[in-house]
Amino acid sequence: MRDTAPLTDRARGEVMFRRGAEAITVGRFLADVAALAARLPEKPFALNLCADRYHALLGLAAALSRGHVMLLTADRSERRQREILAAYPDSYVLADAGEEPGWAAPPGALRVAAEGGGEDGPNPEIPLQQVAIIGFTSGSTGEPAAHPKPWGALVAATRAAAARFGLQGPAVTTLVATVPPQHMYGFETTMAMPLHAVTASHAGPHFYPVEVAEALHAAPAPRVLITTPLQMRALLGSGEPLPELAGVISATAPLATELAAACEVAWDTRVLEIYGATEIGSVASRRTRAGEIWSLYDGVELRREGESDTVWVEVPGMPAPVQLADAVEFQPERRFRLLGRRADMVKLGGKRASLASLNRLLMQVEGVEDGVFVAPDDLDSNPAARLMVYAVAPGRDPAAILAGLRERMEAVFLPRRVLLVPSLPRNAIGKLTRQALEDLRRQPVAGGG
Amino acid sequence: MSSVVATEAEVAELIVEALHLEVSPAEIDPEAPLFGEGLGLDSIDALEIALAVSKRYGFQLRSDDERNGQIFASLRNLSAHIDKNRVK
Repeated sequence: MRDTAPLTDRARGEVMFRRGAEAITVGRFLADVAALAARLPEKPFALNLCADRYHALLGLAAALSRGHVMLLTADRSERRQREILAAYPDSYVLADAGEEPGWAAPPGALRVAAEGGGEDGPNPEIPLQQVAIIGFTSGSTGEPAAHPKPWGALVAATRAAAARFGLQGPAVTTLVATVPPQHMYGFETTMAMPLHAVTASHAGPHFYPVEVAEALHAAPAPRVLITTPLQMRALLGSGEPLPELAGVISATAPLATELAAACEVAWDTRVLEIYGATEIGSVASRRTRAGEIWSLYDGVELRREGESDTVWVEVPGMPAPVQLADAVEFQPERRFRLLGRRADMVKLGGKRASLASLNRLLMQVEGVEDGVFVAPDDLDSNPAARLMVYAVAPGRDPAAILAGLRERMEAVFLPRRVLLVPSLPRNAIGKLTRQALEDLRRQPVAGGG
Repeated sequence: MSSVVATEAEVAELIVEALHLEVSPAEIDPEAPLFGEGLGLDSIDALEIALAVSKRYGFQLRSDDERNGQIFASLRNLSAHIDKNRVK
């Protein structure tokens, strides 16, 4: 078995990226990679904060070719930068050339631009064992937990996804994505994919429905939309006409069957859903409208630990099995059914956190004597659902508590309502039962949020 | 321009309705930021607002408007942007 894989297995003349009207070939990409790689410092870690999808990919490829590890985070806030740089002090930072309103690159960041200008460059062989990226989740204490992924795992996952979604050519499929390049789902589908699947990523950004529609119209067929339930709902609601689509892929949150079916009808296409997590990447898919059973990618295996609910997933190229965050029921032929998230876990805007960790952060806010985050019943079906907070904080107002939370957590987890109560209905051992919280929720409340 | 003030009140109502906010429309400070500080909205809300705006006013929001016009810098900016671009 080979112990390396090339940076890309695509032909030099094929288009692998589109930036507006500009088509970037594999050869041009390799020239850009060589130019950037030559500028990188001698440090083992690259915190890649590029928002431009092509710049982000150049950062990954240049770091890989130098044997550096890319630190992958969709959260580009100063707080998250500080946390990651504290854990990886021997890092350099990559950011887009050019200014971005509302966001400032940290001082000393190396600016990335498509600067090579050449038509060809070396295609480095990269050891399969080399750690390519480290993704982050919010750990149980709120600090980022690191999830390294070797180059071999990345290549295997890309090839498995390409086989599953029919992205092996000969025609180059254009991928238009509404998800950021540095969220694990966006990373796998739009940064890893053009290296080892016959695809071209559209640089974006396209966030609003009209932009997504325009990008799709401008892209040559076949085209696939990489998106989320929230974005699908907005795009469908906008009524923007779309060109012929080979498929729509959704992830980050459960997709309601009704929404999937409505999009299939309106856009005359198939809507497929990916199951994955930051720790493992994508491991399974289904056609949402066809039923609730997921099919594992080639090479991925699930194992149950004895009679317990704990399920481990073995992913090709990963050094050890990883525990799944969800409870699953095994089905024949390498299929499974999701039994739902573990009760304490919530997922919003593609980010996962435990309510316990959010509660801990709430308790750190000045003046909060007791408090609890509560998830609404429709969290798994309503893409725009938000959390709420009950807090005991004499003399403090909801706005002050919200401000305290904002310093401590990502915006998607901020409660839409903060309700002040005289006390929380804790039982004799100090626990808040589900029933007690239900009762609290039904009570008429004074004071708003 | 009195229409801007009228639009402001209408847009405040649209935001509160679209996002199920607990504040009353009149409580939204027209000059406070809608995102981050101030009302504390985020990108999920931006899509919801874009959807509501396209239904009510018949035009689509764009990232360029957000970058150049700072449309989410305040209720006032967003309302002015709507006044300029509305087709219904």
